[in-house]
Amino acid sequence: MVYSLAMTPSNPVDGRYTLTELADLAGVTPRTVRYYLAQGLLPAVGAAGPGAKYNDAHLDRLRLIRRLQGEHQPLAAIRKELEGLDDDAIRAATLAPAPPPQPGSALDYIRSLGQPTRPARLARSSGSLLKRMDVPLPAMFSEAPASPPPSPPLNRSQWDRVPLGPDVELHIRRPLTRSDAKRVDRLIEIARDLLSEDQP
Amino acid sequence: MTRLTARADRRLIRANHRSQRFVLVELTAPLADRQDDRKRPPVNLAFVIDRSGSMSGEKIHLAKRAVEDALARLDDQDRFSVIAYDDVVEVVVESTAASAEARRNAVDRLRSVDARGSTDLGAGWLQGCDQVARHLDAEGVNRVLLLTDGLANRGITDPDELTRHATELRSRGVATSTFGLGADFDEQLLESMATAGGGTFYYIAHAAQIADHISSEVGETLDVVARGAELEVLAGEGIGVETISPHPLTSRGTRSIVALGDLVSEQVVEVVLRLTFPTGVAGSEIGLIIAVRDQDGALERAGLGDARLAWTWADGQSNDEQPRDVGVDRAVARQFAGRARQTAGLSNKQHDYKTAQLKLRRTAARIRRYAGQDPELGELAMVLEQDAGKYAAPMSAPSLKMAYFESTNVRFKRDHLGRATKDVPPGP
Repeated sequence: MVYSLAMTPSNPVDGRYTLTELADLAGVTPRTVRYYLAQGLLPAVGAAGPGAKYNDAHLDRLRLIRRLQGEHQPLAAIRKELEGLDDDAIRAATLAPAPPPQPGSALDYIRSLGQPTRPARLARSSGSLLKRMDVPLPAMFSEAPASPPPSPPLNRSQWDRVPLGPDVELHIRRPLTRSDAKRVDRLIEIARDLLSEDQP
Repeated sequence: MTRLTARADRRLIRANHRSQRFVLVELTAPLADRQDDRKRPPVNLAFVIDRSGSMSGEKIHLAKRAVEDALARLDDQDRFSVIAYDDVVEVVVESTAASAEARRNAVDRLRSVDARGSTDLGAGWLQGCDQVARHLDAEGVNRVLLLTDGLANRGITDPDELTRHATELRSRGVATSTFGLGADFDEQLLESMATAGGGTFYYIAHAAQIADHISSEVGETLDVVARGAELEVLAGEGIGVETISPHPLTSRGTRSIVALGDLVSEQVVEVVLRLTFPTGVAGSEIGLIIAVRDQDGALERAGLGDARLAWTWADGQSNDEQPRDVGVDRAVARQFAGRARQTAGLSNKQHDYKTAQLKLRRTAARIRRYAGQDPELGELAMVLEQDAGKYAAPMSAPSLKMAYFESTNVRFKRDHLGRATKDVPPGP
């Protein structure tokens, strides 16, 4: 168990999220969460199975794993990095700005997987449509700024936006009590069905 | 005939509310110039074969035969390598030019490959990528063909990590196609590696079909007319663009790129986009320009121009009364039906039969809402409803895998064997 110093296995009473909620909030699949639990990248919860509950520390840890994966670090390196961090350090790390991407060849990329090194990403260079267009483009096609606005710092409780349809969004202040979370899950399911994502 | 068209399900959008509309983009790749065989891009292939214990007997024998047959189709301008992996990775043949002698030597070396050990799929596949990457041919088709009958149980086993590597390697010029054999591999993993890797996923129910599928894949690499094809979508300010078909999409500002991978001669590709429009002044217009391009400019040379679409903001009543393009509705419904079957299959595999059934029923109900009197849409919904019964009980691994494979093929407009759909005029 790699968390013996930094993090004790969470008490199930503290758990606020179901597996699905945790996965949704972190932008991964429940299957990935189960995989990380099995790999010891996330601390085990007291009661495994469908009733298991997860807390904010799980969420932070999951967000940091995703971030580091986005920097092309293999799981073994991520595990090492997480070992040295307690909950607060993990939270701080999730809020730190990501390093800029660097290009590299396929061979560099494959070789880099053997060791936890710099991130690598290659922007595809190709003739752009804008340059090729033979007619002037109307103003509505002007390009928007590429960099997203900086994300605000997280509080212990936070509002999550759940899009239900093109004009409808549900705002939820997490964490919710267990029974509320269940009700909200049902609400989202019914609302999505009513507003149906695949309704042309 | 080479063409690029774009059609919208409806042309009016709501002035006072955000609207969602669907666009069907159809592309037909040009015909290969068969008069001059030297014109095909050279291929640089790695054959990666699972040699874990479960492959023993007929499977490994037929896999080796399939590679031998495939090698016979290459010539001097091509390159290949052969990798066999279990818990260790063996480079059976280092990447080499496909001379007659090299191909003969490879067949001799292949004879020594037998089945043993566990499955380090990640390491075997990455070794294949390494062999291809060492001799990456800027003018060629660079691809790894990964054949396995098992789960990744050694080395990198995280499906998301493998898929991400496939995406990164594809963007660096190395594509991946995957072949899942028998009842024990992870169809979701192999499908997502191939989709992310710009290749094709094949399900091989019986070892006897290995040669057919490998042959079909190698045949397609030899038939490529446009490498690394992409749709470029330039949308009016405030329009959100997503793909409903499984083609990967990246957006930056008002520009989105849809990756189509390598296109073979006369291949027909269907991309379904979902657009979310902002509100606007009734009577004014907003639009979209779609163009296609590839690494070598082959599509541009074939005279493919861009496709343009415009929508008009209008009041609620006009929106409610406007006609629909049923051809677009059908394409949209096929994508959602395919997606519903894929997720229902995964639920069924996890013994969550209720969710599997619900997913299919709900998708069927949604299709019925816009089906009107259209017989094709009505049948799509009916078959989904029938399937809901089937998915409500345990299904065998082979039938789940076959259903997943079929849905993937429908969503990529490939035939039941995973082969590209071609726009070939009917014979005399």
